Amino acid sequence: MQETELNVKSSMKPASSAISVSPSPHLANTADSTRRMMLDVLIALAPVVGMSIYIFRLYAVFQLVVCLCGCLLAEFVFVRMRGRKPTLMDGSAVVTAVILAMSLPGTAPWYVGFIAAFVAIGIGKIIFGGLGMNIFNPAMVGRAFVMIAFAGVMAASGYEIAGSTVDVVSQATPMNAYKMNGVVTPLINLFWGNTNGSLGETSALACLLGGLYLVIRRTASWEIPAGVILAVLVIGALDSSGTGWTALHHLFGGAVLFGAFFIATDPVTSPLTPKGKFIFGLGTGVLIMVLRLFSGYPEGLMFAVLFMNALTPLINRWTIPTPFGGKKQ
Amino acid sequence: MADQPTAAERFIQGILPENPVYRQLLGMCPILAVTNSLMSALTMAGAVIFVLVCANVMTSLIRNLLKPHLRIVIFTLTIATFVTVADRFLAAYMYQMSKTLGPYIPLIIVNCIIICRCEVVASRQSVGVAAADAVGQGVGFGLALASLAVVREILGSGMLLGFRVLPEVWPDWAIMVLPPGAFLTFGLLLGCVNWFTARKNAKQNG
Amino acid sequence: MTMEATINTKKGGLQENYLVQAWLVLFLAVAFGAILAGVQMYLGPVIEQNKLNETLERVPALVLGEEKLQEMTAAGQHLEVIPRTIAVKKAGREKFYNVYEARLQGTPKGWVVKTKGAGYADTIELLFGLSPDLNTITGIFVLDQKETPGLGNKIVTDEWRGQFVNVPVDPPLSVVKTGASRPGEIDAVSGATISSVSVTDMINTSIGDLRQPLAEPPVQTEKGEDTNG
Repeated sequence: MQETELNVKSSMKPASSAISVSPSPHLANTADSTRRMMLDVLIALAPVVGMSIYIFRLYAVFQLVVCLCGCLLAEFVFVRMRGRKPTLMDGSAVVTAVILAMSLPGTAPWYVGFIAAFVAIGIGKIIFGGLGMNIFNPAMVGRAFVMIAFAGVMAASGYEIAGSTVDVVSQATPMNAYKMNGVVTPLINLFWGNTNGSLGETSALACLLGGLYLVIRRTASWEIPAGVILAVLVIGALDSSGTGWTALHHLFGGAVLFGAFFIATDPVTSPLTPKGKFIFGLGTGVLIMVLRLFSGYPEGLMFAVLFMNALTPLINRWTIPTPFGGKKQ
Repeated sequence: MADQPTAAERFIQGILPENPVYRQLLGMCPILAVTNSLMSALTMAGAVIFVLVCANVMTSLIRNLLKPHLRIVIFTLTIATFVTVADRFLAAYMYQMSKTLGPYIPLIIVNCIIICRCEVVASRQSVGVAAADAVGQGVGFGLALASLAVVREILGSGMLLGFRVLPEVWPDWAIMVLPPGAFLTFGLLLGCVNWFTARKNAKQNG
Repeated sequence: MTMEATINTKKGGLQENYLVQAWLVLFLAVAFGAILAGVQMYLGPVIEQNKLNETLERVPALVLGEEKLQEMTAAGQHLEVIPRTIAVKKAGREKFYNVYEARLQGTPKGWVVKTKGAGYADTIELLFGLSPDLNTITGIFVLDQKETPGLGNKIVTDEWRGQFVNVPVDPPLSVVKTGASRPGEIDAVSGATISSVSVTDMINTSIGDLRQPLAEPPVQTEKGEDTNG
């Protein structure tokens, strides 16, 4: 959710420039700027950030500071290298930073967040031409990089520090406890969020609150989260093989809700049409469940979103709306 | 034939102005596959130089006998022979390295740098020029491989050729020794080379 | 033939023949073939020896342990290593194991078994040593693995492998996540339970398969009914 819809028109240029026909949303109001949108996202992220600070205390503050410094510095340096106007004030780097921080384990050392921030802004965004041109969600590009680079601290075992002063950090993450030992975390804990995990993902309640705000404000489209949640619930229900890990556990556990509302909805890297968005959401949900059930990783949100990002141009092509009065191709 | 480049020109061109990797974007397979350590990159470069020189000299010697429609067969035959020799030689005298490089030594057969040089230079010019061209291109290829390998090995393991160059606290970037690291490093280095060239050209013109 | 005739109007009949046109290809093919045959004759034995040595070099250390090996080398003694191939019939299929018997002046000192199996990323190939009475594992060595760098590839470290030195075969090895306490328990590499489990599973299976054939006198290729596996 980093960008305006302004680039949308350029990517779907009509043949004649006399009348511009483009799919909704039609941006009539020019005040509807990147900055306002980013502000909306930050407001929506507030409950998530608040909850993570409440649960993880200094771990969360630390990761936020590291990622904010990293992202802002990277944005400043790279934009300057390209000789463009500084874009620090549009808030997109701040949103990337917060989403990135919320997707990292609080226990990760400083260089993890810092390198992830530089990769997110540099390789995830600027290298494609900056704001609005990127193919992949910048925060997830950064996270994927450190996930593979520093497997030791980013794998499930990296989340635990035995004897930490913050209680939850000394426990296994719910997803990993289930995957490795079949331990089912009570649903109520997953809902409120007092479990271990990536900073922003633990509290289903906070994610739902923030997500609903985004959807009501129309900053994020409802089709994507709806698709993700539907796919996860259906496959989760099919899979519930009497272990006590139900479809709702699949939904509230791990990063599904956080990802569905805050990561997959990035307008730059998701399809344009409502139908396309729903397909995108469904695909993301299916991939999450495939990775959870059949891969070695306990959680699959990051790879699912990155994979669907790559499919976005294809989905756009499939779902080109027929203009009013136009012929079906 | 008077306007054909001389041996010295061919040699110089191969190293930077027509670098097979950074300029012609040839030989991507070894560039991505074997540059996770400097030692394997250098071994690979050595094998390629050997094959390139032998194939170029051989082709140049028989260039007057070549029939246009059969030339590719002969190039491939020649290259495959020398690659097999190099592969067996490595397996006999550098067994561990040959295991590390795995299928990438036999894959030199399809390395388009070599067939390109046979076609462009060796089948048209004298043995001396062909040999100089082979060495130039080979060294250019070696330099490119080494440049990637240095970056990837240092970032990925904090070591270079088995010696520690970064302090122990350095967290190894495992991604750099994995395939994605090759793509990222190569892209960024290619960008740097292009940027420097563009700047140099701008200075010369203005 | 008519097409060719139109192309090579000036040339005679012999020139049109494909084989004649390709004389250089044929000549080079024969010449290069001869060169390669020569290279193979000269280098082939060296390469075979390399392949064998890769395993054989590890046998003494696995059977005796590094310390004893050094003592022995200092004393000028050398182990004899006798390679054997053992076929085990299992679920209707034959499985072949490369086993190396180490002897010192005729007395058996132990066995080394080569085995491979699926790891997390790719096949893991490893050697493990057994005491002469087949009751103790004397060590393991990983020949080939492509596990995740930073996690699974720690199975090659001396620290992790050290857990397999002098471990009884019974009860079978099991992997635990924190603090191995009982005999036969192996600490998983943290964050790489799958790699750790596949290594111990491979060892358990191989021991199960081989205990009986190895305990028998070395009259090979008997119809050894194997029920352990």
